[in-house]
Amino acid sequence: MRDKDIGDIIGGLLLVALGIFAVIYSQNYNMGRLQMMGPGFFPRALGYILIVLGIIIAFPAFLRKGPAVKVNYKGAFWVILGLLTFAFTLDHLGLILTTVLAVVIASCASTLGWLSKLYLGVSVAAITYAIFILGLSMNMPVWPTLLTL
Amino acid sequence: MDVSVIDGLLGGLQTVLTPQILLYCFFGVFLGTLVGVLPGIGSLATISLLLPITYHLPPVGAIIMLAGVYYGAQYGGSTASILLNLPGHAAAVIACLDGNPMAKQGKAGIALFMTTIASFVGSMIGLVALIMFSPAIAQLGLKFGAAEYFSMMLLGLIAASTLASGSPAKGLAMVAVGLLLGTIGTDVDSGTIRFSFGVLELSDGLSLVALAMGLFGLPEIINSLSNAQDTKVQGKVTLRSMIPSRQEVKQSAMPMLRGSGVGGFFGALPGTGPAISSFMAYAVEKKIAKDPSRFGKGAIEGVTAPESANNAAAQTGFVPTLSLGIPGDAIMALMLGALIIHGIQPGPMLITDQPALFWGLIASFIVGNIMLVILNIPLIGLWVSILKIPYRLLYPAILIFICLGTYSVTNAVFNIYVVAIVGALGYLMLVLRFDAAPLLLGFVLGPLMEENLRRAMRLSRGDPMTFLERPISASFIAVAAAILLWSLFTVFKKFLRARAAEQDRVM
Repeated sequence: MRDKDIGDIIGGLLLVALGIFAVIYSQNYNMGRLQMMGPGFFPRALGYILIVLGIIIAFPAFLRKGPAVKVNYKGAFWVILGLLTFAFTLDHLGLILTTVLAVVIASCASTLGWLSKLYLGVSVAAITYAIFILGLSMNMPVWPTLLTL
Repeated sequence: MDVSVIDGLLGGLQTVLTPQILLYCFFGVFLGTLVGVLPGIGSLATISLLLPITYHLPPVGAIIMLAGVYYGAQYGGSTASILLNLPGHAAAVIACLDGNPMAKQGKAGIALFMTTIASFVGSMIGLVALIMFSPAIAQLGLKFGAAEYFSMMLLGLIAASTLASGSPAKGLAMVAVGLLLGTIGTDVDSGTIRFSFGVLELSDGLSLVALAMGLFGLPEIINSLSNAQDTKVQGKVTLRSMIPSRQEVKQSAMPMLRGSGVGGFFGALPGTGPAISSFMAYAVEKKIAKDPSRFGKGAIEGVTAPESANNAAAQTGFVPTLSLGIPGDAIMALMLGALIIHGIQPGPMLITDQPALFWGLIASFIVGNIMLVILNIPLIGLWVSILKIPYRLLYPAILIFICLGTYSVTNAVFNIYVVAIVGALGYLMLVLRFDAAPLLLGFVLGPLMEENLRRAMRLSRGDPMTFLERPISASFIAVAAAILLWSLFTVFKKFLRARAAEQDRVM
C-alpha cells in the first residue's frame, strides 16, 4: 500500500467526498426543470461529475506505484499560524504590533535566531507602515485600541 | 495595416503617455521583472497580491499595471535560470538547459543580454498578432448567443485543464471544484443564497483575491521554504561582458523569429501558455539544428528561441481574453476578474465599447516592453544582487503583504481567514500534485457558464440538443470532445506502457 500512488488515492477520494457533499447539500435548493433550471441544478451536476472524476483518479492509482508524498509540516504550521495570528489580533493590537508578532511566528519555520526574528519583524512593520499607511493611506488600526483612547 | 488600427494605436498612446499611467506601467513591469527574477514568488501570486490595490486605481491604469507584471515576469524569469540554474517560474525552466551552461562558460552577460533582446522581439511579434486578430475574433464573437458562449467556455476549460497538466482527469476535477466554488453566494436568477453555511460574508460569494492568494501565495511560500538553500550566483556581470559577438547575433536571429511564431500561436490557444510555448520552441530548434548535440551545452539558440516564444505567448494570451472575454489560463482569469471588479464586462463588445481600455492596453505593451529593455540591460546588476537576499528574510514580508492585501478588499479580517483555509487546502493540493490553476479558471468562468447554460436551455425550451444544432456551438463541442478523446487515448497508452515496463522488470 505504501508504495502505491498515495497522492492520487487521497486526492481522488477527497474529490469523491466533495462530490457527495455537493449532491446532498444542493438538495436544499430548488432543482427546477431543464427548461427552467433552479439554483440546485448546476451544483448538483458538478457533484456527480466530481464523484466520477474522483473515482477515475483514485482507482488506477491503487494499481500503480507513485512517488512518495512529502509534506513540510513545520513550514505549513508556522506560516498558517502567522496568518491566523495576523487576522486574529489586527483589530485589537493594531498594524504595528500585529505585524511584528506575525513575522516572528512565521519565521519560526526557518532557522533564524530570536533577535534576528525581532529585527526582521520591526523592519517589516516599518516597511508596511510606510507603504500601506503613509503611501496608500489605508484605513486600519495602527496601534492597540487602548493606547489611542 | 488599416487606418482604424493606426487611429486606435494613436488613441492608445494618448491614453498611456500621461505621467500617471506611465507610472502604473513602470511599476507593473518593474515589479514583474523583480518577481520573475526571484524564484519562490511568481506572477500569479503577485497579481493576486496587487488585485486589491487596483480597486483604488482607474480601470485602465489597473489593468495596465497587472498586465505589466505578467509580461515583465517573462523577462525576469530567465535571469535566475541562467545565473543559478533555478527557474524563476515555469516558463523559464527551458532557459536553464543552455543558459546555465553559458554562464558556466563565462558568458552569463551575453546570455542575459540576448534573452532581453529575444524577449523584446517575441513581445513585439506577439503584439502584432494580438492587434491583427483580436478585432476579427471579436466580430465573430458578436454573433454568439448563450449556447455558443456556454460551448466555448466548455471548450476553453477542457482544453486548459487537459492539455497543460500531466493528468487530464486531475485537471478536469480541479475545474469542477472551481466551478463549484463559483456557485457560493447569491444566485442571480433566483436570489437563493447557496453554500454560505450561514456565514454572512459568503453571501456575496468567495472573494477572488482571497482565493487566488490562498491558492498561489501561501502554498508557494511553504513550498519554497523546503527548497530554499543559500544560492551561489555564477560569475560577475558587467555591462562590457554583455556585448554579444556578431556570430552570436547571427545565430540567434532566425531562432528568435521562429520562437516568436511558435509562441504567438500557442499563446492564443486556451490551455497552452508561455511555459508550453517555450518547450515547443526549444524542441523545434533542436529538431532543425544542424548539430543537435550542441544543445544543453550552451547553445545560444536554445536560450533565445524559447525566450522569444514565452514572451510572444504572453502577448497573444490576451487575444481570447480581450476579444471574447474568455480567459485561456489562470493569469488571464485574474485579469478578467480585475476588469469585472471595475464594472467592465469583458466580451466581444469590449474593443468597440471601451476603445480607450483596449488600445490603451495595447499601447502600454509597446511602452512597457521598451521600459523592460531599458530596465533589464543596465539594471542586471541590481537583479543579480537581489538574488542574493536569503528567502528566510523575504517570506515573512510576503506573508504580511498577503494579509494586508486581503484585508484591504473589504477592510475586514474575514478574508484573511479565508486565505488561511484555502491556503491549507492549496498546500494539500500542491503536495498531492493537483494543479491549482484550472481551479481558479473554473471559479472565474463558473457564474458566467451557469448563467449561459440556463439561458440557452430556457431559449431552447429545455432541449439540450440546442448545443449541437447550432453550427458554431456544435463545432466547439466537437473540438472539446476530440480533445477529451485524445487525452483519454494518451492516458491509456501511458498506462499500458507503464504496465508493460513493470512486467518487464518483474521478469
